[in-house]
Amino acid sequence: MKNRIILPILAAAIPLAGGGCGTNAHYIQTGGSQSVVTIGQINIQDYIQAASSMTSELLASGVLDRVANPPAILAISRIVNNTGQQVDTDLLTKKIRVAVLQSGKALTTTTMGLGGTAEDPMAKGLQQENDFKSDVQNTRTPDFTLSGKIIQLAVKAGDTSQSTYSFQLSLTDARTGLAVWEGEKEITKQGTRSSVGF
Amino acid sequence: MKTGIFLTLAGALLLAVSGCSNSMNSVENAQKSGQRQMIADQRAVTDTGLAGKVSVVGVNSAMTSGGFLKVQIELLNTTRSLQRFSYHFEWFEANGMQLTTLTPAEIPDEIQGGEDKFISSVAPTPACKDFRVKFIEN
Repeated sequence: MKNRIILPILAAAIPLAGGGCGTNAHYIQTGGSQSVVTIGQINIQDYIQAASSMTSELLASGVLDRVANPPAILAISRIVNNTGQQVDTDLLTKKIRVAVLQSGKALTTTTMGLGGTAEDPMAKGLQQENDFKSDVQNTRTPDFTLSGKIIQLAVKAGDTSQSTYSFQLSLTDARTGLAVWEGEKEITKQGTRSSVGF
Repeated sequence: MKTGIFLTLAGALLLAVSGCSNSMNSVENAQKSGQRQMIADQRAVTDTGLAGKVSVVGVNSAMTSGGFLKVQIELLNTTRSLQRFSYHFEWFEANGMQLTTLTPAEIPDEIQGGEDKFISSVAPTPACKDFRVKFIEN
């Protein structure tokens, strides 16, 4: 009698318990507290946090206001990747560019880049054409350049791994070649395995 | 014999519990030079557990030289153990509209037992006049 009651209940409970172990694909907020956290990689929330922190510092410093003809013009220089992984540095710099543009304090040039390469070659061509036609150079040279480095420092103690990612940025005055603002954001993650959520 | 085992276990438990405690001491100058501009805050608490452990002591604000609103929040861990939480700032323009174009940074943070610490942020544009900070326990 007992078996007749208990067995069906157990049989029904096992698939339910098993089903609870996995999660169906679903949307989460980018960089939100339900994001996957891995120790050996830079996660999207790390880029968002680093960019947000350094943008706040940059805007609060007021250096972008110290130009003769505001808003300041910003050119993106080299961001060195010294981590053990392939990194698209735009994940960091684009967020900063968007933020400074929205702040109204700076504009980023897309026609001047490292080694003479333009982010937007068509815009560069049109700009040169306009300068040639008008016989006057309308192009504003950048007031500042933004350069930086991403460094990873990994250590291990027993089963516990720890990675520190250091995001470093320098804003250089293009006229003087002096760094007028420098920012650093360090993010450290520790654990024995990857996890979902902070 | 049984009492001996019980006492050993009780001692081990006490050691384990005291090992988890991670309270913090601090010292600061008594005569403050700076004056914080405290602002009246409005709170919505749905996680009483977190609010009981990590309480908001006060909120102050200032304007940066570039005209950005800077907000600083003082937090106090009322427990004797480390607490982990995340927070993010939301910013609002003068007409009350939230600035949603940037992905908000969810910032994981921790506070030691008994620690009093500050978190702060700067508004993304000079047009931002109001703010809201959301906390979630990790």
